[in-house]
Amino acid sequence: MIDLLLASAITLSVPLVLAALGGAIHRRSGTVNIGLEAHMILGALIGAVVSGATGNWAAGALAGLVAGALSGLLMNLVITRLKGNEIIVGLGYNIVMFGVIGYVLRAVFGVSGTLQVDGLQRMPKLVIPGVADVPILGALISGKDPLFWLCVVLVPVLAWLLRSTTWGVRLRATGASEPASASLGLRTLAIRDGAGIVAGALAALGGVALSLGTVGLFNENMTAGRGYVALAAFYFGRSKPLPTALACLLFGFFDALQIRLQTVGGFNADIISTLPYIAVVVVLAFTGIRQHYRGARALS
Amino acid sequence: MSTARAERLPSSDPAAVRCRIGARGISRSFGPVRANVDVTLTVRPGTVHAVVGENGAGKSTLMRMLYGLDQPDAGSVIVDDEEILLSSPRAAIERRIGLVQQELAIIPELSLLENLVLGQEPGAFGRIDWKAAQKRAEELSRSVGVAIDWSASAARTSIAIQQQVEILRLVYRGADVLILDEPTAVLAPVQADELLGLLSSLRDAGRTVIFISHKLDEVLSIADHITVLRSGRTITELEPGEIDRAGLAAFIVGDSEMPNRPTTRGNPGTVVLHADAISAVDDRGVTRLDGVAFEARAGEILGIAAVAGNGQEELAEVLIGIRASSSGELSLDGQGIGRMSVRARRRAGLAYVSADRKQEGLALGLSLADNSIASPALKELARAGWLRPSAVAARVDAVLGRAAVRFGSASDPASSLSGGNQQRVVLGRETIGKPRVLIASQPTRGVDVKGIGYIHELLRRARDEGAAVVLFSEELDELRELSDRILVLHRGRVAGVLDGESSRAEIGELMLGHTSHASHDRPVEGEDA
Amino acid sequence: MTGTATQGAPVAPEPTEASTPVGRRAATALGRVARHAGVPVVLALAIGALVLAVTGNDPLEVYGRLLSEAFGTPSRINATLAATTPILFTAVAAAFAYRAGAFTVGVEGSFVLGGLTASVIGSQMADVPPVLSVLLPLLGATIAGGLVAVIPGILRAWWGVDEVVTTLMFNFIVTGLAGWSVQSFFLAKGQANSSTEYVTENAELPALAPPGQTSIGLVIGLVILIAYAVWMRYSTLGFEFRAVGSAPRFSAAQGLRVKTVLATALIGAGVIGGIGGGSHALGLVHRYSEGFSANFGFTGIAIALLARFNPIGILVGAILFGALNSAGATVQLFIDLPVQIIDVLQGTVMIFAVAVFTLPKLRRLRAARAEWKRP
Repeated sequence: MIDLLLASAITLSVPLVLAALGGAIHRRSGTVNIGLEAHMILGALIGAVVSGATGNWAAGALAGLVAGALSGLLMNLVITRLKGNEIIVGLGYNIVMFGVIGYVLRAVFGVSGTLQVDGLQRMPKLVIPGVADVPILGALISGKDPLFWLCVVLVPVLAWLLRSTTWGVRLRATGASEPASASLGLRTLAIRDGAGIVAGALAALGGVALSLGTVGLFNENMTAGRGYVALAAFYFGRSKPLPTALACLLFGFFDALQIRLQTVGGFNADIISTLPYIAVVVVLAFTGIRQHYRGARALS
Repeated sequence: MSTARAERLPSSDPAAVRCRIGARGISRSFGPVRANVDVTLTVRPGTVHAVVGENGAGKSTLMRMLYGLDQPDAGSVIVDDEEILLSSPRAAIERRIGLVQQELAIIPELSLLENLVLGQEPGAFGRIDWKAAQKRAEELSRSVGVAIDWSASAARTSIAIQQQVEILRLVYRGADVLILDEPTAVLAPVQADELLGLLSSLRDAGRTVIFISHKLDEVLSIADHITVLRSGRTITELEPGEIDRAGLAAFIVGDSEMPNRPTTRGNPGTVVLHADAISAVDDRGVTRLDGVAFEARAGEILGIAAVAGNGQEELAEVLIGIRASSSGELSLDGQGIGRMSVRARRRAGLAYVSADRKQEGLALGLSLADNSIASPALKELARAGWLRPSAVAARVDAVLGRAAVRFGSASDPASSLSGGNQQRVVLGRETIGKPRVLIASQPTRGVDVKGIGYIHELLRRARDEGAAVVLFSEELDELRELSDRILVLHRGRVAGVLDGESSRAEIGELMLGHTSHASHDRPVEGEDA
Repeated sequence: MTGTATQGAPVAPEPTEASTPVGRRAATALGRVARHAGVPVVLALAIGALVLAVTGNDPLEVYGRLLSEAFGTPSRINATLAATTPILFTAVAAAFAYRAGAFTVGVEGSFVLGGLTASVIGSQMADVPPVLSVLLPLLGATIAGGLVAVIPGILRAWWGVDEVVTTLMFNFIVTGLAGWSVQSFFLAKGQANSSTEYVTENAELPALAPPGQTSIGLVIGLVILIAYAVWMRYSTLGFEFRAVGSAPRFSAAQGLRVKTVLATALIGAGVIGGIGGGSHALGLVHRYSEGFSANFGFTGIAIALLARFNPIGILVGAILFGALNSAGATVQLFIDLPVQIIDVLQGTVMIFAVAVFTLPKLRRLRAARAEWKRP
């Protein structure tokens, strides 16, 4: 029972981790990405379609990644080059993307909502011989898809990139103080665009994890607000890779618990779904109030 | 770049170049204000050159042009004996010129080491070689004799350390001319000494340093040459051996006394505002006011004089309540107001003319009418929460009329007026309610000569109507013309209180950190000299 | 990294002139709205046309059809006005907060909870005298809408906690709470999808011109719009709203009630959104079900921004978006056109409503040329 719960928590958190890490990188460069949901759903669709066309899940994932990168760039250009407010642009971008995808599903594929792709290859489940039967550990790491392992690799790699590469240091500098960074000759807009590309690409991979994971089809509602949960996760994890990923695990666990309790009966799923958002409000309130009492200049 | 201690820079043979950087006949005007008039400056390679002068003497304008942030209207910048056009900071950097501005480009979220190498990180293929960076950083700090914990987070280090890192970053990036705009203004005395040590190490290593300062002791102790600017003109160039402090101060403020303008003095009555042991910190947490005490009387103008950065700004903000004081008592007519909100203080009879007219004095996007009525007294113009149009119109007419504002329509945005007229709106609004205390901070900043006279008249009128006017100004002549008494702040403390008739030299001495020989209201704590 | 710095509204309001006559003011306001809204709307139409053309539709034909479906006949105009009603409320709500510089994105949540509350109360009105049977549910909606914004409002006003993210989060919290309470307490029996019981007939807002769907909710919305305009211009607190929104440091230095303004702005936006949700429930759908709000809260933001918070602009914008919604719903009966094209148009307008269209390259070029001319 606990094995099942853990296994499902991990499976459910993979899309979250990918999207949230992308959002965290973007946040570190100074932009709050409200459009993660849009990048995810695009990745899910492109991943499913290309996997179906090629019969190869890896090609699907790659195509999803590229589409997400372009989508991330497109949205970010409006923010950096046209100085659009990141929140409004993100909200609007989500509406447009879901509109376009809903439209294309009906106008091009002739389906409403759900797209069954012929010949779609799902991601393989990597069963680790020997470990699979170990209690807990087996549930934690055996039988996972490649994107799970990507997450495992990505967390330390991103942390290292942020710490030890010119890209990472310049990105953090830009996010912390854009004018100061610009005065030191950094191309801050390009740096932010780059972060937007990464956010789009990773969130789209999160979408791929949804469509090429357990279900193997595409549905226009399949992200179900995960982009916003990812947003909550990187706020909760202060945009650091490991804490962000851990927040996703926590939220994934909530999700698994909720499904579990639904079958058992009892506590309501909708209430549990609000926990990530409540957590963010609490964190924001806490840090905000603390900062307020540090400031000397008080607004009457 | 080689890294040996006290290295000589290989770039240009110092003996061959006479003027590493300088100015020839530079003039620069901003509208009617002539910031620089025919300024000449010669900075020899491998020297420390101080530029001194009052606020508004044109020092910062000159420095900006030497760094390519601004270009002269006439004359030109000299680099390596050559007249050139520095069209941008980039061009200056190519000539190995670096500027340390008062606003430091230090990123708090990064470590000091990350801040040092940011933009020019050592390493290959995007990977930063932190070992090499650390080694280079240590060599740099050792070569100038400062100790820096490079792994510390910038947010947790003092501004003095941050400033050292900013200077070393310029060196790291290859600058051999360093321009510093009032680097010691934000530092405590010990920190300032350390900075001066750093600057002389840089000079000893063959670099050229230009720095602006108001602190004559440090100028005399470290500079090889001193250029004095006054009213945008070069007054003289000296060497420290040729002159003492008093002589230098005389050059700075000028020995010309005021022409005898008819000045009416006030008729001081009872004490209205009483401040006792006020202390406060600035936005960065640095102590800016340290036990300031004074009294202001009805019917007088109390001038507050200080060199910028000595706590004037913070004192004005503490009085009106925008800034919280960390300790001390403030009372109005014997009633404690130190814990009150701005709203309550204004209701109790305080009024405020902000030094920052564009952000705090006016809402530039709102109409003149809106600007005229914005205050807690708005309530008087309303019934049950609704503004009475006739009362509003009457008040707007009274405010704009009182200050004789020249305007088209009261519905025009405040941004449509000239600076002087904008300030009249502010003064009209702030004095219409016959305040007990009028706090006026730099009321004539950015106002032309004609406008200044009128604003002075409005201040006097407020005084004659019984207000205690607390006038903060960087213009000594303005303070002398208007004030009954002048309180001088130095490093956040009261350096002395002088009579309004005192000479520029007497006030200047106190502002620059000398102890007062004049009568004090109360004993002044011993000043650091 | 959890930034708590607050942002101002994403666009600045136009200055208000107190003394010009209403007629001329309206004309200049319309001119301004056209200027600000022109580029985003044209861009949205262009992007929509691209999507249409790529998928084998004739954009001009589709747009022509949309136009006639929106305004072609009295009954279509009625439908357009019915679709205008909810977003009129949300647009006024957003504008109300943005005028004070409080950048809420939480009207969606207030709209939803207001709608749910009105539906639940409205379904219990069988034995309640008329008028009261409408007022009680609306009152409940008002309170519910305001409650959604109380925590973000207090956090922003007293401690400067960024309202953007907190209000966004509250949208999701409300969605969860609404789903839970419907499932647990208010589920209508014998319904396939999760929804509440229909409100009783005496709790419905009457239609203005039956059988058309436009209800008296539109009138309530117009009254609130006018109240917004009058209040901003002539009330003391409205004055302080404009001052705080346009110059926060000035307002603090003048001793205006900055905290009161910010809290009122956020909670007031919630209240207006709540009434909007209540009117939508009582006037049009007559019950609460999942998907109660079709992004109305966000559409309202787009309208408020396009109109630069100007009341007349808000009305025009709401009708424009309402027309899109109503035409989109029926146009598919005539041509094979997925209704999602409407989302594409609306979202694009929203995005470009906050974009700044300048030609930075041109400016830089000119500066460079000026530099060349120097000796």
